[in-house]
Amino acid sequence: MLLLQVIVGGLLLGAIYALFSSGLTLIWGMMNFINFAHGEFVMLGMYVALLVVVWLGGGPATFGFAAAFALFVLGVAIYLSLIRHVMRGPMLAQILSTFGLALLLRYTAFWIFSANFVSLPQASLSGTLNVAGILMPVPQLVAGVAAIALTVALHLLLTRTNVGSKLLAVAEDRNAAMLMGIRPDRMQALAWGLAAGSAGIAGALMAMSYPWSPSVGETFGLTAFVVVTLGGFGSVPGALYAGLIIGLIQALSAYWFGPIYKDIVVYALFAALLWLRPQGLMGKA
Amino acid sequence: MKWGLPALAALLLFYPFILTGPFYWDIGVAFLLAAISASAWNIVGGYAGQVSVGHSMFFGVGAYMPLLFYHLWGLPPVAGVPAGMLLSLLLAVAIGMPTFRLQGHYFSMATIAVAELIRIFVGTWDLVGAAIGLQGPAVGRGWWDLTFRSELPYYYIFLAVLAVVLFTTFAVERSRFGYYLRAIKAGERAARSLGVPVRETKLKALMLSAVFTSVAGSLYSIKTGFIDPESGFGILVSVQMVIIAALGGAGTLFGPLVGALILIPLQTATNTWFGGGGSGLTYILYGGIIVLLARFEPGGMHELWYRVAPRGVSVRSESGARTGL
Amino acid sequence: MLLSAENISKAFGSFLAVRGADLAVAEGEIIGLIGPNGAGKSTFFNCLAGDTMPTTGRVLFDGVDLTRASAETHARAGIGRTFQVPATFEDMTVLDNVMVGAFLRHAHRGDARAAALRVIEMTGLGSQTSQRARSLGTPGRKRLEIARVLATGPRMMLLDEALAGLTPAELQQAIALVRRIHELGITLVIVEHIMEVIMTLAQRVLVFNQGHVIAEGRPQDVVANEAVIEAYLGRGHRKRRAAP
Repeated sequence: MLLLQVIVGGLLLGAIYALFSSGLTLIWGMMNFINFAHGEFVMLGMYVALLVVVWLGGGPATFGFAAAFALFVLGVAIYLSLIRHVMRGPMLAQILSTFGLALLLRYTAFWIFSANFVSLPQASLSGTLNVAGILMPVPQLVAGVAAIALTVALHLLLTRTNVGSKLLAVAEDRNAAMLMGIRPDRMQALAWGLAAGSAGIAGALMAMSYPWSPSVGETFGLTAFVVVTLGGFGSVPGALYAGLIIGLIQALSAYWFGPIYKDIVVYALFAALLWLRPQGLMGKA
Repeated sequence: MKWGLPALAALLLFYPFILTGPFYWDIGVAFLLAAISASAWNIVGGYAGQVSVGHSMFFGVGAYMPLLFYHLWGLPPVAGVPAGMLLSLLLAVAIGMPTFRLQGHYFSMATIAVAELIRIFVGTWDLVGAAIGLQGPAVGRGWWDLTFRSELPYYYIFLAVLAVVLFTTFAVERSRFGYYLRAIKAGERAARSLGVPVRETKLKALMLSAVFTSVAGSLYSIKTGFIDPESGFGILVSVQMVIIAALGGAGTLFGPLVGALILIPLQTATNTWFGGGGSGLTYILYGGIIVLLARFEPGGMHELWYRVAPRGVSVRSESGARTGL
Repeated sequence: MLLSAENISKAFGSFLAVRGADLAVAEGEIIGLIGPNGAGKSTFFNCLAGDTMPTTGRVLFDGVDLTRASAETHARAGIGRTFQVPATFEDMTVLDNVMVGAFLRHAHRGDARAAALRVIEMTGLGSQTSQRARSLGTPGRKRLEIARVLATGPRMMLLDEALAGLTPAELQQAIALVRRIHELGITLVIVEHIMEVIMTLAQRVLVFNQGHVIAEGRPQDVVANEAVIEAYLGRGHRKRRAAP
């Protein structure tokens, strides 16, 4: 039974990984750009949730929405002020831009919030469900389900809506999209907003169950890389499957080998992927 | 500027006698170490354009080996330097081989992931001191332990190593290998169409870079007499290499020196001003500098100089190596 | 046959960019490749040059099967190519650009430099040797690309619209350059839209449309070919021509 519980727990966390990784893969697939600061977006989402709870006393819906919105705005702002310019330039500038941004965000957070781990004060969601002998804490359950729903929603947004097809058109062929009257700049800014927003809300969801500090951004960023590589560059469905798988592997590693190993196993998996199957499960290499 | 190089050499050679005392010598040593590391990174990150943001893995390996040799077998730390170089070489091959056949991003991501992996792993491995780290000989048993009380001998050892790194870079710049590196950076697809063996060349660059970075790490741990996972494999070690090279001008011979010249005194100043809590602010500053650099002047000071300086002053070496970025 | 491409197809997902194209080139020939935009000419070129791997078919060069070989291997075997959108090394000087090419045949800097300078003279770039490629206009870049490839000492050159966008005077110079290259014994396959180039230079012309070769022959025969005219001008053209 304990094993089953570990599995469920891993999948629920994996769903959150899927949510924030889908933003990263969207950007990568669309603009061939890796955001090294993506983990920091998740971390900031967590702090936004904290601030909303502490200042406004809001519940999950409130701080979830606040995190999504705040990070959406941040994502668009970053695109317009920085990304748009470095995209046309040399690779060094592109990589340095978000790498430097990650440092900036991370250490500013350290400065403002200190390095102490924090968690949300007593949340409105509490308690534990017992389903067939498996104990599932309500916050984690809600978070996991919400994460899956949001990831699927993102996928549907991309594939079934007008806006989504415009985004995909720009991803496919920028010039052709321009000829069709779509403005790539706007679409890319939107993509950044969506990516950051989904990372933000993922952070808020995670904040409900796990304590954090500014240092978690780095780990989440790397986790997102692994998920995106496993799931395949540019594929949101791939990110969903991969996220779940990674969450599962992490939980099982911690259970069998000890908590220290949960990150090691994930990074080792990443290395193995690069050697054996870099195009991942569902991506176009 | 024919008098430029000899003047620089003289300045570096006599610096400890121009600005005397432990404070200035310490800065001098820090400058040299930073210049060596950044120059090492520059080979693969600057010239070949393969941006590693996890170079600390090579630095850390080079830093741990000497103290490990001392800790396990009582050998003089210097004996561990070749072992560090060899291990770094193998690490470079292990990372380069799979990732260099993929898009550039994969390499960058792999470097962070592997550096982190090693850092966490070393932090849990008792044999190498786990989270506490390793120490070198407190008191030297002889000159071969290289435990000097004064900074001065270290200064000249580091200076010699810097000279070797710079000379090697210069030789590379002028060789076929060097041209191929720049071609890869300038346009991989075109380079391929001209017969450049892209994957092989990138790998060689990474291996050379790894070896020099390893030596830098060894110098660091031998001088400091201490190493732990953070000071060896921490992300800030990687960041410093990148920012120094990029600030001065990635892909240029003296770029890393210029970068170190700017950043090391700056770092010393901010550490003094902001005191203990300064480390956070220093890295906010680093992050900010990197972003500004990427946004406005990716070619660093080198490129800035050539845009701002009047035409007549600009020095063009024969190979036209005004490449910067 | 120096080059023999048999039944080359290239699929991108479900889209077939090239379908069963054949090309046989004897040493010393100049072949022209024409066709409307999107007909698959550049993709076919990429297959010949090793830039892309064909989905089906074989590419034999001087008897060696290069189908699965990398672009680097193609270059070493003696196939050089230019790009439709010039891909010069922007921040490197003209000399350095050409030297990269020259290093394929000369391991030492001095030799490579000398060879590069000779090629630069031949292609008329002598006055711009120390300029960065970035500062050249598009015609200059195209010429630089040609020089760079020439320095690799190829046996065959694939020119992808290398003469596009030139003034009439520049065009004549370029045609003369191509002739000089041919006189060196280099086999040429040229993709062009400019009819003058094809008519004056090509000994044999292949016409591409929708991924396959629809006509082949001497330039004057091909341009009079009904199918070819239809490909360029559309089906209604015949009726329009026939009507008073």
